[in-house]
Amino acid sequence: MLRLLVPFALLLTLVGVSVLSDRPAPRADFVFINRGDVNTLDPQRMSWMQDLRVARLLFEGLVQNDVLCDDFGIIPAVAESWSVSDDRLTYTFHLREGARWSNGAPVTAEDFRYSWRRAMLPDLASDYVNMFMLVRGAQDFYNWRERALSDFPQRTFASARERAEAADDLWTQTRARFDETVDLKAPDAHTLIVTLERPVPYFLDLCAFAVFYPVYGPLVEQFERPDPVTARLIRRPGWTKPGVLISNGPFELTRWRFKRDMRLEANPNWWNLSSLAIRSIDIPSINDPNASVLAFQTGAVDWVSDVTVQYRGDMLDDKNDFYREHADDVAALRAQGLDAFEIDRRLPDDPRRDIQAVPVFGTYFYNFNCKPLLPDGRSNPFADARVRRAFSMCVDKKALAEQVRRLGEPPANTLIPPGSIGGYHSPRGLKNVGDAATESERDAIAAEARALLDQAGFPRDFVVELLFNKDSGHDLIAQAIAKNWQQYLGVQTALAQKEIKIFREDLKNKQYMTGRAGWYGDYGDPTTFLDICYSTDGNNDRAYSSPAYDALLDKAAIEPDPDKRMALLSEAERILVEEDLPLIPLFTYANVSMFDPARVTGMTTHPRAKENLYLVDILGDGKGPDKPRPMRPAGVRAGQTTPAPETTTPAASPTPPAGGSR
Amino acid sequence: MTTLIFRRLLQLPLILLVIYTITLWLAWAIPGNPLENPDRRPKPEVIEQMNKQYNLDSFPKFYFSYLDNATGFHWLRDTLSGRIAHERALAAEAGQPAPHRPVFDFGPSLEYDDWTVNEIVAGALPVSVTLGAAAILIALVIGLLAGIVGAVRPNSLADLATLGVALIGISLPSFVIGTVMLLVFSLLLAWFPVAQWGTPRSLVLPAVTLSLPFAAYIARLTRMGMIDALGADYIRTARAKGASELSVLLRHALKNAFLPVLSFLGPAAALAMTGSFIVERVFTIPGMGQHFVNGVLNKDLFLVMGVVLIFAAMLILFNLAVDVLYRWVDPRIE
Repeated sequence: MLRLLVPFALLLTLVGVSVLSDRPAPRADFVFINRGDVNTLDPQRMSWMQDLRVARLLFEGLVQNDVLCDDFGIIPAVAESWSVSDDRLTYTFHLREGARWSNGAPVTAEDFRYSWRRAMLPDLASDYVNMFMLVRGAQDFYNWRERALSDFPQRTFASARERAEAADDLWTQTRARFDETVDLKAPDAHTLIVTLERPVPYFLDLCAFAVFYPVYGPLVEQFERPDPVTARLIRRPGWTKPGVLISNGPFELTRWRFKRDMRLEANPNWWNLSSLAIRSIDIPSINDPNASVLAFQTGAVDWVSDVTVQYRGDMLDDKNDFYREHADDVAALRAQGLDAFEIDRRLPDDPRRDIQAVPVFGTYFYNFNCKPLLPDGRSNPFADARVRRAFSMCVDKKALAEQVRRLGEPPANTLIPPGSIGGYHSPRGLKNVGDAATESERDAIAAEARALLDQAGFPRDFVVELLFNKDSGHDLIAQAIAKNWQQYLGVQTALAQKEIKIFREDLKNKQYMTGRAGWYGDYGDPTTFLDICYSTDGNNDRAYSSPAYDALLDKAAIEPDPDKRMALLSEAERILVEEDLPLIPLFTYANVSMFDPARVTGMTTHPRAKENLYLVDILGDGKGPDKPRPMRPAGVRAGQTTPAPETTTPAASPTPPAGGSR
Repeated sequence: MTTLIFRRLLQLPLILLVIYTITLWLAWAIPGNPLENPDRRPKPEVIEQMNKQYNLDSFPKFYFSYLDNATGFHWLRDTLSGRIAHERALAAEAGQPAPHRPVFDFGPSLEYDDWTVNEIVAGALPVSVTLGAAAILIALVIGLLAGIVGAVRPNSLADLATLGVALIGISLPSFVIGTVMLLVFSLLLAWFPVAQWGTPRSLVLPAVTLSLPFAAYIARLTRMGMIDALGADYIRTARAKGASELSVLLRHALKNAFLPVLSFLGPAAALAMTGSFIVERVFTIPGMGQHFVNGVLNKDLFLVMGVVLIFAAMLILFNLAVDVLYRWVDPRIE
């Protein structure tokens, strides 16, 4: 009989030992669920929103966006001040003396040179390498290294040892080559001078982008060695782990357990430490949408960055009911020009207000394959712009946004979310059946579209295939669009739902007719959207090629006058969304998040949606000022009540904005 | 017995090799390039170079190099040739930390830049093993009790009730049970935390959820075994001897009735301890199950092969352990 108990005893010991050896830490000041698991903490390798969000906590760039200001302007960070030459090619940054790495070492101009050089190396395969090619000489340097690396395997060596030495030599030469060719100078420890290929009005905005943040060279170098066989720099993981990672931002990494949790604690060496109203941050890894909402409702987390539960539409409906119950208060608060979070904060306490939908810097659209032939060799009717226009006009975007998505997302007739970029005027875009006020107007739009199809000789028996990936409700959108096209154009449709990897491959290889797509902007300039339709761009999934469009972008790239440049870009977008329609903009994405605005402050409502979480203050926790941090009107910096006189568009400003602490 | 253990251990690498070959062949056929990010694509020449670096450019190259690293042969070669010692010395000379060279190297994760498969498994396996062990424990307690009750009074109300519960346990998917448990016990009653791992309290709900299908199975096995045993001659003898009913049930009948349960425990424990994707997802548990699914979805070849090999090895070893236990509990079996 006793022998029967052995399996029990074994299992019990196992559970006991494991539970006892694993003790959770006390709750952090601020706990949030990120969009997904962090892929990497190497800023130069990043491209995911959740990674960039954490990078802005751990690292600090030369400058940053004033995320709590409606203009999203550029304010100092590691650089105390900066100046721009008259030809707007040369930027001189003056780094603050007090900036320190988490190990106490000063942050120097050399750190930025090291980090930017990393990003410029083909070895690193940074997703954003093209942004660094704006620096004068960077493209030459990149090409040189790339050529040297592809020649290396062809070279013959007497021994493996000799080959390894040659790989090391090439790396030494590469560093020397960088010093010679790339116009990135550090005359002293606290001055960084960058010269660009051409004037780039959004260059400072790029410097506020986490991929441009510095890494600590003496640490990273230990983990990157030239491979003795291919001469490529091999990255070993390891330096981004707690206890190893050295960072220069408001927080340092104290725990990171894969797909489990991450903990950040205030970096005692950060120059602006006293401004922090939270001292620790927990980022549990919760991937299940329902569990995220439950965790918020039980108070275990303070902010859910992306609410993706299926019933979020219902939650937003509840919030609208709540607004209706307090319609007068809401109207009065809106009249004061308050931001959405501040309005919620001042309304009566109610759990229904804790869900927030804010339009962001991204657009959901449908691609057309513009190649003359379809993958199966038939001629492609969508190569004709008239056909694309007709199909675009017959999507009821309003119904799509209001009845299918139900997240309060504005229907879009342009690729760039209107109003998201200062100084840019969006074109009107092509009208669609959803814009019609009356039934007869709707019929007229549909008739116009059918006439376009007839003109183009669109084959009657052609079956249009809609490609989309499963999950996230893409199927519902595809069904609605297919129904629209059948109803208004009498066109037959077929839905092709695929696994995400296959879907991406098909888009890339142009193995589709029309397919769903989406794009989020990276920096505050129209080109962050418009570049994806440039004929030779790597993200041109549409195979769209318009000499007129390309010429406008080329012209804008060298146009010195900011207003004229914006006008050129606006004209380019007009071609895209009014004439050629290689894509159908459907709606501007909204980000749906959860937090209690009466408890958490410091979140931005700006469409760029790039919150800097070190600005968060938990109201009433006795730490920090415990005062709400609402959005400031354009031009008003923290601590000011009226716009500062010298602040114009930051990039074009020859004088630096006022320095100092936030 | 030693021959049995020895023979099984000899078979282990052979079975693993077959599993490795088939799995890699299937995983290789998944479309998509694991090195590409969804939207911002690296230049083709960069992709090509990275493919070369990870041996993703040719199936045989990947097949043999992965095998070489994962089986420890590479480590063994480098240790014997003194290369590892040499690297250590070089690093020490340069004042750098010694390079990390695990014996069984499952390679880097292609999707998660900052992690090696060894680190991922080292973090996730203990979690899954704990949860699985707790679940099997609960399943044994519930299953045996329910089985005995059912066998003592067959077709009674208690028996039908346990049968009904067992049926529910087998047929209801765990995401339904898990979500209902979360709603009732975490949100309404606030007895247990949501989405947390590491305390005894956080172990309860997921372990119970995971245990139910196993418990149901064990209950049926026990009931059948007990009914058979209770009708046997030696039980009548025991009763005639004047043994108490409890002693008859536990010492005499259960001993025999437990054997089928024991043979079920091997694969069940391996299954429970290597993680369940759904239970892990519902309760946000950082275990192994998610890596099976995500690894395949991301075509993270190193990760897929790593978890598959570990799962296979565990399955074989658990079956072996059960066979050994079986012989020990019931010496009649040779």
